[in-house]
Formats: sequence, structure tokens, C-alpha cells
Amino acid sequence: MDYATSFYFTATEIGLSLCGLALLLVAGWQGNKSARMVTIISVAALFGAAIFSIGLFDRATGEVAGRAFGDLYRADAFGSFAKVLIYVAAAAVLIVTPRFFERIDAYRAEYPVLMLFNAVGMGMMVSATDLMTLYIGLEMSSLSSYVLASFLRNDERSSEAGLKYFVLGALASGIILYGVSLVYGFTGSTNYAGIRAAFEASFSTGALFGVVFVLAGLAFKISAVPFHMWTPDVYEGAPTPVTAFFASAPKVAAMGMLLRMAMDPFGGEADAWRQIVIFAALASIVVGALGAIGQQNLKRLLAYSSINNVGFIMIGLAAATPGGVAGALTYLAIYVAMTIGSFTALLMLRAPDGTNLETFADISGLSTKRPALAWSLLALMFSLAGIPPLFGFWGKFVVFQAAVQADLVALAAIGIAASVIGAFYYLKFIKVMFFDEPTREVEATSPVSHWVVLGICVAIMSPLGYLLTVPLGEWTAQAAASFVAAM
Amino acid sequence: MHPILLIVFLPLLAALVAGLTNKAAPSVFAKAITTGALFVSAALSWPIFLGFVAGTYEPTVVPVLKWVQSGSLAFDWALRVDTLTAIMLVVINTVSALVHLYSWGYMDEDPDQPRFFAYLSLFTFAMLMLVTADNLVQMFFGWEGVGLASYLLIGFWFRKPSASAAAIKAFVVNRVGDLGFMLGIFGTYLVFDTVSITEILAAAPGMSGATIGFLGYNVYTMDVLCVLLFIGAMGKSAQLGLHTWLPDAMEGPTPVSALIHAATMVTAGVFMVCRLSPMFETAPVALGLVTFIGAATCIFAATVGTTQWDIKRVIAYSTCSQLGYMFFAAGVGAYGAAMFHLFTHAFFKALLFLGAGSVIHAMHHEQDMRYYGELRKHIPLTFWAMMAGTLAITGVGIYHLGAGFAGFWSKDAILEVAYGRGTELGNFAFWMGTFAALLTSFYSWRLMFLTFWGKPRWIESEHIQHSVHKTPEEAGEDTTGGYHPHESPLTMLIPLGVLSIGAVLAGQVFAPTFLDDAAFWGSSIFYNEPLIHAMHNVPYLVKYAALIVMVIGLVVAWYAYIKDTSIPAKTAEQLGPIYRFLYNKWYFDELYHYLFVVPAFWLGRQFWKIGDVGTIDRFGPNGIAWVVEKGSVGARKFQTGYLYSYALVMLLGLVAAITWVLF
Amino acid sequence: MIGIEHYIVVSAILFVLGVLGIFLNRKNIIVILMAIELILLSVNLQLVAFSAFLGDLVGQVFAMFVLTVAAGEAAVGLAILVIYFRGRGTIAVDDVDRLKG
Repeated sequence: MDYATSFYFTATEIGLSLCGLALLLVAGWQGNKSARMVTIISVAALFGAAIFSIGLFDRATGEVAGRAFGDLYRADAFGSFAKVLIYVAAAAVLIVTPRFFERIDAYRAEYPVLMLFNAVGMGMMVSATDLMTLYIGLEMSSLSSYVLASFLRNDERSSEAGLKYFVLGALASGIILYGVSLVYGFTGSTNYAGIRAAFEASFSTGALFGVVFVLAGLAFKISAVPFHMWTPDVYEGAPTPVTAFFASAPKVAAMGMLLRMAMDPFGGEADAWRQIVIFAALASIVVGALGAIGQQNLKRLLAYSSINNVGFIMIGLAAATPGGVAGALTYLAIYVAMTIGSFTALLMLRAPDGTNLETFADISGLSTKRPALAWSLLALMFSLAGIPPLFGFWGKFVVFQAAVQADLVALAAIGIAASVIGAFYYLKFIKVMFFDEPTREVEATSPVSHWVVLGICVAIMSPLGYLLTVPLGEWTAQAAASFVAAM
Repeated sequence: MHPILLIVFLPLLAALVAGLTNKAAPSVFAKAITTGALFVSAALSWPIFLGFVAGTYEPTVVPVLKWVQSGSLAFDWALRVDTLTAIMLVVINTVSALVHLYSWGYMDEDPDQPRFFAYLSLFTFAMLMLVTADNLVQMFFGWEGVGLASYLLIGFWFRKPSASAAAIKAFVVNRVGDLGFMLGIFGTYLVFDTVSITEILAAAPGMSGATIGFLGYNVYTMDVLCVLLFIGAMGKSAQLGLHTWLPDAMEGPTPVSALIHAATMVTAGVFMVCRLSPMFETAPVALGLVTFIGAATCIFAATVGTTQWDIKRVIAYSTCSQLGYMFFAAGVGAYGAAMFHLFTHAFFKALLFLGAGSVIHAMHHEQDMRYYGELRKHIPLTFWAMMAGTLAITGVGIYHLGAGFAGFWSKDAILEVAYGRGTELGNFAFWMGTFAALLTSFYSWRLMFLTFWGKPRWIESEHIQHSVHKTPEEAGEDTTGGYHPHESPLTMLIPLGVLSIGAVLAGQVFAPTFLDDAAFWGSSIFYNEPLIHAMHNVPYLVKYAALIVMVIGLVVAWYAYIKDTSIPAKTAEQLGPIYRFLYNKWYFDELYHYLFVVPAFWLGRQFWKIGDVGTIDRFGPNGIAWVVEKGSVGARKFQTGYLYSYALVMLLGLVAAITWVLF
Repeated sequence: MIGIEHYIVVSAILFVLGVLGIFLNRKNIIVILMAIELILLSVNLQLVAFSAFLGDLVGQVFAMFVLTVAAGEAAVGLAILVIYFRGRGTIAVDDVDRLKG
């Protein structure tokens, strides 16, 4: 085993971990005075890690060269793509975070440190090629997420969100672990390649049990129906920047992990799990859309919206083809930009006294008071609804295209029909913002940092985003090829 | 750069600038820029036209842009300049420039002047696009463009319900015609495999006698195409059947009526028939239809015109009638005469409209002639302008002196050519035209006598009462009510003066060119040399017919409206049914109401109540919405908030997945 | 002779007990934390059993990781429970329903 190579391929995780540990010391030493500085360094570290991942991506074309620590971990195009998304999303969320807590004097230097460790865990999740590595990454991410959800210690809703997330998350971890132990027992290996080889040799009922348990646990992490129940509660209760984070980076990590797991070790058994994925995808689309209708709280609405979007991403998985994986990744990238944009806009909505506005009543008539914000939200909502010419349409287009090419025409048709229901509540945003009478005062200005993040997200969602289709298409195709080649 | 580019695109540029700045700049900016652009266009148009008259100007086609390249369908934006175009250029740009100027005074108090001037210029651009079209698609573009501008201008005072309704009516009725025009264009492309006018006209004679299956019958190809195209022309030019929108279009401001609904847009149909004259020449049935519809419109509109009280409506029906003359002239093959009448008519009809506008302006927006009287003493300049227009439209002139007003030259030529054609339809058209000329004389002089002679009857008018704050009882003996009509400002009088010159001289100066000069027309229209000879050799009685009926009309009008003013009422009473028939415009609106509108509403209501609400909405949108609503309530109830129920759902999902996989 | 089947059955029973502990218990959140520990325990038992059965060390290594993580998880869980109790003054499962719909 060549440690130098191994360290090189795991450099982002190691670097971020070291950075996190150092900052933890700083935080412990300096207290909350250093919160801003720690945040800035964390953002810089995340961007650095993202840039390093892009660099790695170009080199990591050779399959063997990408393996680290005896194939516990693999650095390939897929991992790089997912990690760039994760790190950039985490950094973007971190940029818009401090203001939220600072107003109520609740910002602490541990917050960015937790985000860093979370990012390390997520990076491991998407690169893991061994169940052990996967478990460690998963828990690293989850444990810091539980803490983040309950970060507003004096807020009852925040602590309830943390509690629910913890209990259900731990249950999901237990289910995954139980499945892992079964898979290990019946295949004799925890390594993806080993599991795959064992499955190809023989396939036992016990192992099938294990596969279903593992996939069910992963479905919890991406909040696919019927493992979605925690999502609305946690999203509503958690502080808004944390919700923004939950809705973006961990979704990429969990979805990446699921894609790799389903296509690599379990790839040979696609026929066994495809029906379950199809069901979960359609159920997610429908339940997400139905749940969102009638919500008054915007965070809760966006939680259902994320369930709905996960359903669309899973259509790409259901296709179980390289095109499907590429489509799912494309959708993920677009989804992350839309989500961060929406939550940033939400963070910019404040009453003049600094309290957060997060219900429909609060944004009525927004177009008269904050026209730029209202128009940005309009672009994001149209994009989420998948209305051309906005870029959100492209994401839906590629997954449906993949589904049709995989002969899942009925799935695509039902998905398209169900997306109409989803359009309802996105359009409700617009109706409320543009056609209702203003009811309450909103703060007239927002920090530049928020405008920058929102501006970039809206620019990507605007028709300008179509300039990205070619690089995005090439990148995701390469990413998908990285473990289809391994298949 | 070819001047035609400036002529066509300056109005567009002005419309865009004026429309986009709208109220951001003082209204005088929009007014100045549009009016200036139009005067430049007009100034550039005349040299082209005079060049053709002198025979020194060669027809050209000026390319602008590539447009469509798709299989065998290929055409470009190109501006075609030939005799026909040149005539239209001077007519459009001169009248439009004068109307722009006139509107400075007429629209002075309107708050939306920039919008008005932008629309006017936009209209001018679209009309220029139509007449310079090199292919049928470009012509259609202009055709629809003028339709749009007409709609916008009729509904300019859109807060007035009647104006909005009139705008919609004009649009919808034109749609019927446009459908014919479109089908005609499609059919032409189908048959000739090109939309280039030059190529179509070159190929047309070869298609004479070809047949095509249409609605299960074998019919002559060219007849079908030309009839379809003519339906388009009928809509635009308000011919019998599709004429109902024109009188209602008088809801628009008067300068609009003068420009669009008298001088230019409504003549687009005539222009189109002349432009495609070689095509129509191969379609005898279609030409017969053109003659018949033209003659029928001519007499129909003239009869209705004799009974109307609204000064603008009288002139509107007069326009309709004069368009009938142009069409039957084209129908009998005298395209030159049709274009000549179009040319002279543009001057005197615009003059009459602008004069009427001046009267309305003087009379505090009163349009009913019953409340006028004795105005010649109060607004003499307007009176003399109207007089010139009336002399022109009634065709005053003496053949042996070789002198006459504009209408004399063109209308006489049409009547003579119809007679000279020698066919039955030609004779029919001649008699209809002659009778219509009698009626024209009658209603024109009736208008003049009611407006400018007699005793003032102003106090009866609500507008005047409103102005002087008196009721007729309070005014007592003084039927003027103490109201003082005022002469219009200079911006309105100058256009009247210029157009008066046109109304007096246009026929005298250009008659030899338009009627007898084959070289002048070149290949722009189908020029029928023998027919022109026949026209000159008709009996003197025919040549004097127009003058004779004009005098009869004048005398009758004088007797009825000056000598013994009780006659009209008595006549109306005695001829009750006929009078009401005419007064109600032959009941066309009512007929259409019961024939089309009521069944359409009924059908629409059936579709709406049973088809849409009862079936589609019930099971479609509303049904799905109901399911979605219930589903969303269910989804929310499902989310109980209790940890154990969440865990239970997860477990049930897991069990279900295992069951599915295992069995 | 006790074979691998017995271990699997025992750990399955433990797992099911743990899961039932989460949604049948409506009184105390601490019981839920214990139930989670039970689930992890069942997994560890199974991993070690398989490890011995397969003659492969990976399972035992995995079990060590799980133990470590379980410790961290318990710490985080208790911490969250403490702040929840401070805010609400109760740890009854039925009271955790402010967020719903």
C-alpha cells in the first residue's frame, strides 16, 4: 500500500479535518469573539477543498490510481463532482449564516467547525467504497447535523427538531447497520468490489434482506417517501441557515452515496430494487407535492418541495443507466443552486426589528417593497416548478429523458403529470408576492454577501444557465462512467 | 442608401421613439418627431412618383434582409418600388403627414398624445410595408400590421365602451376576411410553389383554365385563388357583407377616420387586386364577383348614407360606396381607373373627414347634423374646404370644357369604362354606379345644407347645452343658445388647405397620365389598351350622365333641406318601411346578430355549460383539484408530529419493501 | 451445538425489541435512547458472530467502530435531550409534537 498516494487522494478530508481541529482549538481559546474569523477560514477551506477536488477530478481518470487505503476509499470523477457540489454548497450556506445568529446573539465559533466536520463526513460518504468507510462518513455527518439542528439552544422548536432528527436518524443508522451486518455475513466482505463479486457468484435471501435494509436506511437520509417523515418537522424547527444546509449539501452526499451503492455493489441486482425505487420516486413526488399545498410556513413548504425534488432525482436512479446517473447528478447540481437561492432569499426576509419572516402572510405584496428580491424568488420558483426557459426545466428534462431511454415511459409520464401538482405551490409564491396586498413591513436592505449568493443562484437559474449544459453534461457523463466502468 | 428605406423606416423609428418615451418626455416631443418623420417621408415620396409620371424612373426592388429559407419556401424582406407603389407612397405619406399635423390641433387636449402619434406612425409604417411588399407574406405582414394599428386607433379612447366594442368588431370582422386572404396565400403557394409576386404574376397566364379539386368539385384554380384573395380584400375594404365594421370604426378620433378609414387602409383591398391584376385577369368568375360586389356595395352604402344623421357616419358610408366604385372598375378590367379613383378619393375624402372633424371641433364634439345649421358664417374656412371636397366627390365637371374637380375625372372614367366594357355585368355596374352618383350628390349636398345653411339648431344638442349651461327652454327664441362656434387653429386649417388643392386639381393634372399612359403603368398592373379606347368612345349621354344626376341630386337636396324643410320628415313617414330599412343600414347588423352572433353564443354556452363546466372542468381541473385538495389535507394529517408514528411509518415502509422483494 | 443461526436469531430478536422500543414506548425519551443502544448492540453481536463464523477480522474491526460511534451518538443524544428538557420541562414522548402538519 502506497501511503503517499492514499494521502493524496484523501487530501480534502484530511485537510478539512485538520483545519476543523485547529479551528476548534481557536474556538475553545478565543471563544465567540473569533466566530467571524473561524467562519471566514472555514469558507476559505471549503473553497480550497472544492478547488482541489476539481484538480483531482482531471487526474482521477485511471480507476486504479484513484484507490486509497486498500480500496476503502476511491477518488474518481463521481466523487469529485459530488464533493465540489458539497463543498461549494456548504461554503455558500456558511456565507449567509452568521447574520442570522448574530442578531439574536447566538452565533458561536463551533458552528463553522461543525460544518467542516459535516463536510468531511459527506466527502467520505460519496467516495467510500467500503461499508466501513461509508458508516464512519455517515455518522460523522449525521452527528454534527443533529447538533446543528438544535443549535438554537433556547428555542423550543429548534431543540425539538434536533431531538426528532436524532431519534429517527439513529433508527435509520441502526437499520443500515443491521443491513450491513447481514450483507457482510452473507457475502463475507464489506468492500464494494468484494460484495459485487460475491453477488455475482451466488445470491442468498439473507443478503437480499441486507440490501433492502441498507437501501431503506439510505432512503431516510435522502428523505424519500416513506422515510421522509422527519423532514418537514426538522426543516421547520431548525434555524433557517441550518435548514438551507440540510436541504442542499447532505442531499447531494446521501444521493451520491445511494447512487454509488445501488449502481456499484448492488448494480447487478438492479431488477430487484428498481421497483422499490420507482415506487419511492413516485410516492415522493406525489406526497411532496400534496404536503406542500396548504402549508403556511415557507420552510416547511420548501421541506416538502425537497421531498418532491428527491422523487425526480430518483427517477434518474430508477433508470439504472449511465444516462440516468448523469441525469440525477445534473438535477442535483441544479437543485442545490435553486435551494440555496430560495433559502438565501428567505434569510433576507426580515421584519424591521430583525425577526425572521417565514410564512406566506409575511411575503404578501413583497413585489412592491422588495422588487429585486421578489423577482429573484419568482425566477427560483418558476425554476423549481420546472417551467422553461428557466434552468430548472433542464434538470427535469434530463432525468425524464433518461427514464424514457430506459423504457420507463409510464414512470416519466406520471412524473411529468405529478409535477403539475407541484407547480401549484410554486405559483402560489408568485401570486402572494405579486398580487396580494402588502400586510407587513420588511427590512429594506440586505447584506451584500446575501445578494452575491442569491445573485449567483438566480443567474444560474436564468436562461443563462443553459450555457452550462455542455460542461455539466460532459462532467456528469464522466462521473457516471466512473463507476459504470467499475461495474 | 435608397430613399425608399428612409420612407418606410422613418415612420417606424418615429413610432418606436415616441411610443417608448411616451409620457417621459413632453408630448410635443413625440408630436414633433412623428410629424417630422412623416413630412420627410412625404417629401421623399413625391420625387419618386413624379419620376414615374415623367417616365424617368425605373422600377426597382431594394433588398432589406434575408427572411425565410425553408425548402422551396424562400423569400426575403425586400421593398418593391414601381408605379403602383409610387402612387400609394404619395397617397399614404401625404395624407399621413397632413393628418399628423392636423392632430396637433384636434388632439390638443388629449392626455395620451404620445401614444396617439406613435400609433399613427406605426400604422403608416405597416401600410408602407403592405404597399412595398415584394412577396405575399410580406404583404400579409403589412396587412395584419394595419389591422392592428386600426384596432388600436379605433379603440384609442378605450375607456369608452362603444369605442372598445367598435375596435373589437373591426378586428373580428377583418379576421373573417383575413382567413380568406390567408387561404388565398396558402393556395397560391401550393399552386405556384412561390410567394414572390413577380414570379406569381409571370406564371399566372399559364395557369389560365387549370382546374383543381376543391370541396369535392372540379373548379378553375385561378378562380378559387382569386375569390379567396378577394374575400380578404372585402374585409379590409369594407365591401358588402363585411362592411359592418367601418361605420362603427368612426368611434375613433376623426384624424384616424380620415387617414385609415378613408384614404389608406380601406383601399388596401383595391391595391391588392390591382397589384395581382394579371392573376385576376385569368379568373373571369372572380372578376365577375368583384364587379358585382363592388357595384352592390356602391349602391347599398349610398342608400344608407342618405338617411344617416351623424356627420361622420355619412362620410363613412360614402367611403364604403366609393370603394365600391373602385372595385367594379377593377372588376371590369380598368385597374388604372380604379387606382386613379383611389388616388383622387384619398384627397377629397381625407379632406371631407378633416373638414367634418373641424366642424365637430367647432361644435363642441357634437356630431349630429340635426343640431348644426348656418355654420358657413361662423367657420368660413372650414366651409370652403368642405365645399371643395363636396364638389370633388359629387364629380362636378364639364366634359367638353375638359375641366372638373378631382372626382369628376376619376368617377366619370369608371362609369364610362363600365359602360364601354359592353358586358351585362358592366352595364349593371354602370347603372348602379350612376344611380349611386345621384345618391352621392344628394347625401353630400344634404350634409352641406344641414351643416352650413339654414337656421342654427344648436341648442338642441346636449353637447352645446353642456357647454353653455342652458336648456332649450331657457334659451327660448335664441336657438344658438349663445354658443359661438370657433374656427379651428392653423395646424388644422393648413391640412385642409393643402387637401383642398388636391381635391380641386388632382384629377385635372393627373388624368391623362393615369388613364391613357400605358408607359406610366409599365408592368405594375394589367393595362387593357382596347378597353381604354372603348371608354373614350362611349356616347356623350354616358359622359354627361354623372353631371346630370349630380344636378338632380343637388336640386332635390336643395328643395328638401333649404326650400321646404318639412319634406324629409313627410317622406320618411310616407315611405316608412323603406326609410326604416335604409336608416337601419339594411338591417345587416341585426341579420348578423341573429345569423351568427346568437347561434355562436348559443353554441358557446353549450360548450361552456355542458362541455367545459359540466364535463371537462368537473372531471378534469376541478375533479383533480378536489382530489389534490383532499390529498393535501390527508398528507398534513398524516404528519402527526409524534415520533412513534414517524418511526412506525418507516418500519412499515421497510416491511413493505422486504415483502415486495421476497415475494 | 450453537451455530451461526442462533446468533442471527438472537440478534434479530434484539433488533426487533429495539425497534419496538422506539414506537411502542410513549412515555420517556430516555427509553428511546436505550432502544437505540439495543439496536446497535444487536448489530455488534451479529457482526462479531459473522466475523467468527467467516474467520475474517473485518467484522470485529467494524464492531469496534460501531461501539465508538455509539458512544458518541449517546453523548449527542443526551445533550440534545438535556437542552430539550431545559426548554420544555418534560421528556414525555407524547409532548414532542409542537412541529407537525
